[in-house]
Amino acid sequence: MVGMSVLRSAAALAARLSPLKSGNNVANLLTRTIPRTDKVAVRWGHGKKMFLIKPSAFYDKRFLSLLRYYTLLTGIPMVIVVTTVNIYVGEAELVETPEDYEPEYWEYYKHPITRWIARTFYDSPVKDYEKMMAAIQIEKEKSDMRLTQLEVRRQMRTKGDGPWFHAETLDKELIDNSPKATPDH
Amino acid sequence: MPSDHEKDAYPQPPRQTPVVDRQTALPNPTLILAKLFYYSVDVPVTTFRDAIDSIRGKNKPVFYHQKFRRVPDLTECRQGDYLCYYESEMQWRRDYKVDQEILKVVKERMRACKTREGPSFQQNCAPEMKLFNEVTQNYALRYADLGAYASGRRCLMKQKERMMAAQAQSA
Repeated sequence: MVGMSVLRSAAALAARLSPLKSGNNVANLLTRTIPRTDKVAVRWGHGKKMFLIKPSAFYDKRFLSLLRYYTLLTGIPMVIVVTTVNIYVGEAELVETPEDYEPEYWEYYKHPITRWIARTFYDSPVKDYEKMMAAIQIEKEKSDMRLTQLEVRRQMRTKGDGPWFHAETLDKELIDNSPKATPDH
Repeated sequence: MPSDHEKDAYPQPPRQTPVVDRQTALPNPTLILAKLFYYSVDVPVTTFRDAIDSIRGKNKPVFYHQKFRRVPDLTECRQGDYLCYYESEMQWRRDYKVDQEILKVVKERMRACKTREGPSFQQNCAPEMKLFNEVTQNYALRYADLGAYASGRRCLMKQKERMMAAQAQSA
């Protein structure tokens, strides 16, 4: 018993005097020795950890994410379609008009998508021209008729011999001519 | 990409590259750079284009150049004939676009000549420069200052003002 306590105190003394020597760790099992703080496992990662205080990026990130999503939702199919058309169909080449051939109105454009739009949705420019000319003709006729109407009004009002500008009078048959010497007096 | 333009339409002047007369054994750096450019840029681009063209097949679509008939001018229209006014106005607008394209072509020719000649452009490019100056002056006389609402009618009025000014000056 006494020998054990001598051993214990000797190990404690050795550990205290030279804590880094490997043999002195055995003293930990035997006695209460000083704690070894240089060999404790500290798991902080790389560098000094800091709690950064900055404004919320949630709304900005959400906006950008939604923007990307909604533009790419139609953007990617459109890019695929346009690339496919450009690779597999390709642009048209300019050639001389053959003698007896009247090209369709959509055959005057170069890019295939422009041709398709002109063929499917738009009217021929000749038709648009004629539509505009028809509208102009209708307006011209309306304007001419209004002018002639004004002229006729003026003439009839001044000359008084036309069917317009008649003042309504009583029926001649209703006049009682019996007290009169002549029909006018 | 469309095919290149007709080489006979705008003929380039004859090449004046001197015959190679090598007197040193050192390698020519310009030749090395040219070969480098050829293999790194020209060959991949050409093979890519040939690959895409072979995918496209033999029946390529074609497009034509639309030619319009000439219609009576604004000066040949009777007063009140709005249909004649409309047709002459459309013809004037087409001619305006054609004149703009003519101006672009002449400008492009001048620029190409200037790039080609380098520092001696004032002597060698004299006909192109003369043509460019004439064309721009005529275009400015006819179409400048008409504004965004330019019309055949306003252009005619501008011409009338010019003629009046010329008459006042000569008289």
